[in-house]
Amino acid sequence: MKRRIYRIKRESSKEPGPSLGEKLARIFEIPEDVVGSHPRVTAIGRGEVLVENFKGIMDFKDGMIRISTNNGVIKITGTNLKIREITSEEMIIGGKISNIDYDA
Amino acid sequence: MFLVYLWNYIRGYVIIVVTGKSIERFINICSRRQILLWDIERKDHESAVMKASLRGFRHMRPAAKKSACRVRIVKKCGFPFVLARLRKRRGFKIGFAIFVFLFLISTSIIWEIEITGCKPEQVPGIMKILENERVKRGRFKMGLDPKKIAQEIVMQVDGIAWAGVEIRGVKLTVSIEDSISVPKLIQSNQPYNIVAERDGLIVKMEVYAGNALVKEGDTVRKGQLLVSGKIENQRPDLGGDFGSKEVHALGRVIARTWYESSLPVSMEYTQRIKTGNEHKTVYLKFLDEKIKLPGKKIPFEIYETSSYDKILTGPFGIKLPIGLTIEKSFEIIENKIDLTLDEAKSIAEETVRQKLAQRLPPDSRIVDEKINFFESDSGQMYIQIVIECEEDIAGFEPVIE
Repeated sequence: MKRRIYRIKRESSKEPGPSLGEKLARIFEIPEDVVGSHPRVTAIGRGEVLVENFKGIMDFKDGMIRISTNNGVIKITGTNLKIREITSEEMIIGGKISNIDYDA
Repeated sequence: MFLVYLWNYIRGYVIIVVTGKSIERFINICSRRQILLWDIERKDHESAVMKASLRGFRHMRPAAKKSACRVRIVKKCGFPFVLARLRKRRGFKIGFAIFVFLFLISTSIIWEIEITGCKPEQVPGIMKILENERVKRGRFKMGLDPKKIAQEIVMQVDGIAWAGVEIRGVKLTVSIEDSISVPKLIQSNQPYNIVAERDGLIVKMEVYAGNALVKEGDTVRKGQLLVSGKIENQRPDLGGDFGSKEVHALGRVIARTWYESSLPVSMEYTQRIKTGNEHKTVYLKFLDEKIKLPGKKIPFEIYETSSYDKILTGPFGIKLPIGLTIEKSFEIIENKIDLTLDEAKSIAEETVRQKLAQRLPPDSRIVDEKINFFESDSGQMYIQIVIECEEDIAGFEPVIE
């Protein structure tokens, strides 16, 4: 139970505005994904999507994967989807991808 | 990608089926706990197939419990499982032990001997010493004393300044440094005579020091004293208290010399022609031993053979001691051709000339050349070539009292 409380706290403190690190990054013109916890989505061709800085998988169905990130939920749809690799920092999704949607 | 696959194979992995309502949760927990999962595929909405590392699989139980999923192994893949299977077999264990044993033995044997840096004529001597020290291919390295062998080589073979014997891996290298043989010194402060090195007729004499005993136009024999290093007092009546004086004789004695060679003139000439037919005999070679492989006999009456080795080469260019020796035999037809007299003469002349050319000293000058043909009592014709040349026949020799 302790863990749940911590999670809520973190989310509520993050919501209001950009963090100090993000502000600094903006000032010094450093790409935001280096400092902040924004997700980075890299699609290579049609068959591979690399998602970094994600929080967790929300849904994993046959033609659809929903990933929760700090910027909301990213939904990836396609056929024959599979998770090629998953670690705590990044995941690689393979298959024939048709959509990458935000806030879905 | 292949490398990743190979790495996973070496580490070992399991293919598992996870069944449960909240597989996403299971994956999330696993990823947060640094359990590596890959190739996750949804089978139906209650189960998924995935791969997990061995280490990951061991730590999976709490995650499965938390997400209320059941984990079942479908297949165990990778090297650790193969090894575990092999460990049960006795034959494999014995084979491995034999392999290790053979490997250790074969690396402690000298497989190759190399002799470098010496003249070809010194090689047999060095080989003999190596043989005496019982160094040969196939010998164990143990009990070998490279320093002692090197010392033996320096002591027993002439003209070697330094020898080094080195064992590197399975190769024994003998490196030789020749010493330059000391030229024969003619000491100018000691009395020397000039003697004839060859028979000849003296054409010209230039005596710089010493007492000339012969003059131009004289014929001299080999070894005859030409200029003496001992100078006698010519006019004892004029006084002077020396009876004789010894000097180092110096001078040039140009003489006419003759070289002669003869040969019977053959009216037949055998021509050797390769017919182009060839036959291979193959030997299996192990170290220096040769074993003939079964095959046909050489079907030719007259043949020439040349052989070459095909040695197996292992990794890194190491020559293995096993190989094949292939002997190629080429059929030859001997054609006897009857020659005309002129042809026979010219062929005989050519061979005699070649023989003579080897005998002529390099600093001689050919003055005259005579070719004679004569017949013996039995009717055999002979050719004789006489070459007349001029050369310096002065040879220095110390005065012996």
